Amino acid sequence: MSALLADLVRFGAERPTLLWLLPLALLPLAATPRRRTPFADLAAAPPDALSRGLAAALGAAGCLAVAALVIGISGPYRTGERITRTGIGAEVSMLIDRSGSMNETFAGRQPSGAEESKAAASRRILGDFVGSRAHDLFAVTAFSTAPMLVLPMTDRHAAVRAAIAAIDRPGLDYTNVARGLALALGQFGAASGDASRVLLLVSDGAAVIDPRVQETLRAAFAKIRPNLYWLFLRTKGSPGIADRPAGEDTPQAAPERHLDLFFKSLGVPYRAFEAEGPEAVAAAIREIEGLERDPIPYVELRPRRDLAGWAYGLAVFGLTLLILAKLAEVDLAQGRAAPPARRSERRMAA
Amino acid sequence: MKTRLPWRCNLRDGRFRMLAGAILLVLTALVVPPLPLTRDGVQVLAVVDITGSMNVRDYSASGQPQSRLEAAKAALRHLLAGLPCGSRFALGLFTERRPFLLFAPVEVCDGFAPIDGALAALDWRMAWEADSRVSAGLYRAVEMAAEIGTDLVFITDGQEAPPLPRGQTPPFEGRPGAVRGLIVGAGGYALAPIPKFSDRGREIGFYAESEVQQENRFGPPPADAESREGYNPRNAPFGAAAAQGSEHLSSVREDHLKDLANRTGLAYAHLDGPASLDAPLRAAATARPVPGRFDLRPFLGATALLLVLAAFTAAPFGALSGRLTPRKA
Repeated sequence: MSALLADLVRFGAERPTLLWLLPLALLPLAATPRRRTPFADLAAAPPDALSRGLAAALGAAGCLAVAALVIGISGPYRTGERITRTGIGAEVSMLIDRSGSMNETFAGRQPSGAEESKAAASRRILGDFVGSRAHDLFAVTAFSTAPMLVLPMTDRHAAVRAAIAAIDRPGLDYTNVARGLALALGQFGAASGDASRVLLLVSDGAAVIDPRVQETLRAAFAKIRPNLYWLFLRTKGSPGIADRPAGEDTPQAAPERHLDLFFKSLGVPYRAFEAEGPEAVAAAIREIEGLERDPIPYVELRPRRDLAGWAYGLAVFGLTLLILAKLAEVDLAQGRAAPPARRSERRMAA
Repeated sequence: MKTRLPWRCNLRDGRFRMLAGAILLVLTALVVPPLPLTRDGVQVLAVVDITGSMNVRDYSASGQPQSRLEAAKAALRHLLAGLPCGSRFALGLFTERRPFLLFAPVEVCDGFAPIDGALAALDWRMAWEADSRVSAGLYRAVEMAAEIGTDLVFITDGQEAPPLPRGQTPPFEGRPGAVRGLIVGAGGYALAPIPKFSDRGREIGFYAESEVQQENRFGPPPADAESREGYNPRNAPFGAAAAQGSEHLSSVREDHLKDLANRTGLAYAHLDGPASLDAPLRAAATARPVPGRFDLRPFLGATALLLVLAAFTAAPFGALSGRLTPRKA
């Protein structure tokens, strides 16, 4: 029963207001397109079952024709379906640094001539990454001083590529990674089940994470348990992830190293890729692609089905009966027809 | 006994012809393919002001106060849902003095869910600076729209923070009208208080007069400075008193926005409910042909329905028109 109801609610109409015309389908019960002939005495024609049956059938044909036409012009359809299947891929939440320094080259200069800025390189390489596998889901978050949700988790790769196409535009101020991480973590849907979750941080620097925020982030990582990849676009000459500062080893002196230590302490699978050029970035992305090969449920959309053809088909059926009846009319008034009129004036006869 | 049917008479009957016409129309409807045609799509970059004054709650939705930003989001989502397939939509934020492109143009039907999700997620907390230099932001948004080849919808309340120096709008250096589109003024016409938020994002009241820059005191002082109390050309070029004003309250600055619209060759519209952007944008935007389909079937079906109804209702009239008197047998 509930299955039937569920099936019923999937029917809809493009112009539902036209369905208010449906009562017109009762008109054939009150009127007839057939000829009306005066008859001296109805009692002269004895009621017979065949005539009554024909009258009912033709009345029904009329109702059917009108109702089917009304339904046909209202644009009936059966809504599309969402079918969940399983493919190979991952849920990838990308967290992309949009601070001003991303617009410099890996050598820390303004790009000139054929040189590629860090942002342009990541745009090109991430753009290739999106869509290389059909069933990956992506969310894009950007961050500088504040985190910005660019796109929520989606399987529309064209939209994701459009979001990535925007990342080599002039960046903003600073690198405030903590709030960005929180927002990017929030993009994993609760309902995604056991799909592999990937948090991909692309940045060219790091920042101190406030100890109070660290606890919140730790809790969020423990709950969501993503695989964390940090693609660190290292500018030549700047400190790397593993470099100990010469002086005191504080987060302020070596934010990259301490962010790495923080990530390692989270207890989630974590890898850092230190890329000093576009080729290294591409190699890192290929490696991530190879690592994330788990089954993922994805949704296949079945388009909705147009049912207007069926309605018009029924209308043709009803109209055919009416036309046959019309062609088989006899004219009692012409006096050619002899005994009780069968087809013609059943209504009068009955 | 054989009954001879009056074929000729039956075929001549008006009601038979109506039914026959109806069935022909319906049969045509069953086989006719949809007509290909071009529709007017749009390609538009929407830039939304997310500065503090957009948090003013001077709209209402379903009986609840609604902030300007929420009203703008609702209007954009309504606009997005009504764009014909093949149109393209890009989204940017504005704060400080520049727009920030979130994503390049995306086709609106295939990408509806992510675009709608991104619109729903717009939040003042994404702002990277608290300034709101509307004219500078608008001029750069016009440039950005030209770069990505789209029209522009720029939604703002027009409140410059800090106020413009000497109240003068900076000149527009582009070519007016090169980018078409719409400046949308968000906000009511009456002054309303601006909500204030703590650094953890919690609302903690409203801005007071002394908390907001009431006058721009960078650059040369205004012409009337000499008449101000305590004026001293070197030590107090803007006068000695603290500036007073109503910059801590906000209303839509329509005059300023209309002036900006004139300078840039854009149209102006006031944000007034979720459906208020659809018609102004259609009028202001460049029509970009997108392929569409025109379904003839409803028209064929409707004509057929009229014919069938006519066939049914013609009977009484036919009966009245002279055939009541039986012919001679």
